[in-house]
Amino acid sequence: MKILTVCSTGLGSSFMTQLNIEKALKQLGVSGVETDHMDLGSATPNDADVFFMGRDIADSGQGLGDVVALNSLIDMNEITEKVKAALERHGVQVPGKE
Amino acid sequence: MWLYEILQGGKVLEEFLRPGAVLYEDNVEGWQQAVDEAAQPLLDAGTIRPEYVDAIKESIAKPGGTYMDLGSGVALAHARPEAGVVQTSLSALHVGQPFLLADDPDHPITTMFCLAAEDANKHLSLMQALATFLSSEANQERLAKVSSSQELESVLTAVEQ
Repeated sequence: MKILTVCSTGLGSSFMTQLNIEKALKQLGVSGVETDHMDLGSATPNDADVFFMGRDIADSGQGLGDVVALNSLIDMNEITEKVKAALERHGVQVPGKE
Repeated sequence: MWLYEILQGGKVLEEFLRPGAVLYEDNVEGWQQAVDEAAQPLLDAGTIRPEYVDAIKESIAKPGGTYMDLGSGVALAHARPEAGVVQTSLSALHVGQPFLLADDPDHPITTMFCLAAEDANKHLSLMQALATFLSSEANQERLAKVSSSQELESVLTAVEQ
């Protein structure tokens, strides 16, 4: 399974979101999920199973497939909850711990 | 690979925040002024060229430019390295009265970081430190209450990563 974070430049906001998603995966006790960040213009549906991005560019990203819109890129509660849901959607086992 | 586990520890934020690069204003006239003020210390230090500031403003003004809003009133102003970055560096501006990113009422901002990333790899440790710092609710609360540049500096640098 692969999660890609996307923003307009592919360097700042998306990178920060990737780091926070890795933190969430660690907190959830899930390993083996690949993560990366990229700019919206370069991302293609084949690049990942799930695409995380800020709510304002989520409409432009709809063609990518499974798109998750984040209200905040630094709210660990929201990120952890949405990562967990995405993992479950794609059949990845999430151990019970937070 | 767990990027998050690389480069744990160390006072990375302090290392990249240039002296005089932490600013406070009671008020700004709008997001353009906030970008100008936040970027000025990096311009003065020569770590960015003036066209980098223009590129940030162009990005924000474009549709979807509010991607720089990280949430909790924090914005990360940045553009591509080729837009005019000389050296990886960071500055920060806190504004007492929130301003609206891209004039959008959905995006009130009180803290704007200006990030200059030399390339995609060199800013790894800086981004990691910033992500660790900003994803803490306690730090978000501390940041929101800042009322001087000295206070902003102590919030940003006194925290052990």
